[in-house]
Amino acid sequence: MTMKRKTVTYGLAASAIAIAAAWAALAAALIPPWAAATVLVVAFPVLVLFLGLWWRAPGGEEDIPFIGY
Amino acid sequence: MIEYLVFAAVFGLLLLGVHRKVIARIQARPGPPVWQEILHALKFSFKSTWVPRTASATLYVAVVLIGIGIWSAALFVVLAGESILILFAIYMLHKVVEHGYGLSSGSPYAKFGGVRSVISAASEIPLFVTIAAIYLFTGSLILRDITAYQGVHGPLLLIAPPVAIAMYIVILSKMPYGPFSIVESKELVSGYKTEHFGVWRAGLAVTDGLKTFVLLYAFVAIFIGAVPFWAALVIMTAVLISLSFVCAITPMLSPFDSVTVQGIITGLMLVYVGCLWWVMP
Repeated sequence: MTMKRKTVTYGLAASAIAIAAAWAALAAALIPPWAAATVLVVAFPVLVLFLGLWWRAPGGEEDIPFIGY
Repeated sequence: MIEYLVFAAVFGLLLLGVHRKVIARIQARPGPPVWQEILHALKFSFKSTWVPRTASATLYVAVVLIGIGIWSAALFVVLAGESILILFAIYMLHKVVEHGYGLSSGSPYAKFGGVRSVISAASEIPLFVTIAAIYLFTGSLILRDITAYQGVHGPLLLIAPPVAIAMYIVILSKMPYGPFSIVESKELVSGYKTEHFGVWRAGLAVTDGLKTFVLLYAFVAIFIGAVPFWAALVIMTAVLISLSFVCAITPMLSPFDSVTVQGIITGLMLVYVGCLWWVMP
């Protein structure tokens, strides 16, 4: 199972925008700190994984790991 | 606020690098550079990545997201000085995540690591006793109140050393290469992490960095009190180096012995808390 490059780009952009929006809204005192923290708790893991999936080396197909003799 | 997350993850990984370096030097090896764990995280993020055919794809990916998410939440709980009950609930959730890592890939090595993470839940029992003892002294489980109590009465480390030791052992049980690291011991290749490679392993590294930072920062806040941030970082590093010494000179216990030792520690802590409850007004 491989994710399309376009999907990864959208996911990366969505998480980055969510984090930037939470940061800006907190700076403008539009949302309380706990709300900004909640957005980050959800968006930060997505950002980390999608950033890696976005810049990872191409190639690779699913395989069966060693499951014993 | 993302700067806190990035700093905590990077500093936590740096601490894990220091951990490896100290262990290596004690064992008369040169060891890797201290920034090796940061390089590892970056290296894994660049690698070719896919989901193994035997894996449950949803669980396989979700546990990585949940792992980073729960420790991000834990960081905010500690920085905001909120309830340590939430922090330790997150600590318990991590156990479920470890189990999920192990079971999701379909590899027997990872599966054994996941099963061991369940039996090593014994290491969390001293945590409950620790929480009870902290409450007996401070009358609160809110981190802000605990640090305020220490501002008046002095560090809990000096007031209740057995509680600090119990929490220290809980952190030790989460350190790699330690006596209680049965979930990722070498006879299981990398334990529950075995089949999470590439970007997934980079996510795991970020989780480990955040977890290390949060546990050590919480230890400083709970047992030493409010100190300047730079001082907290210095104390965290000192605590980590002491943990590295323990890891370097202690063999990894068998799963049975690991659980037995944790059970004995819990018993001793229960006796201590029982005595406290008896004598305290």
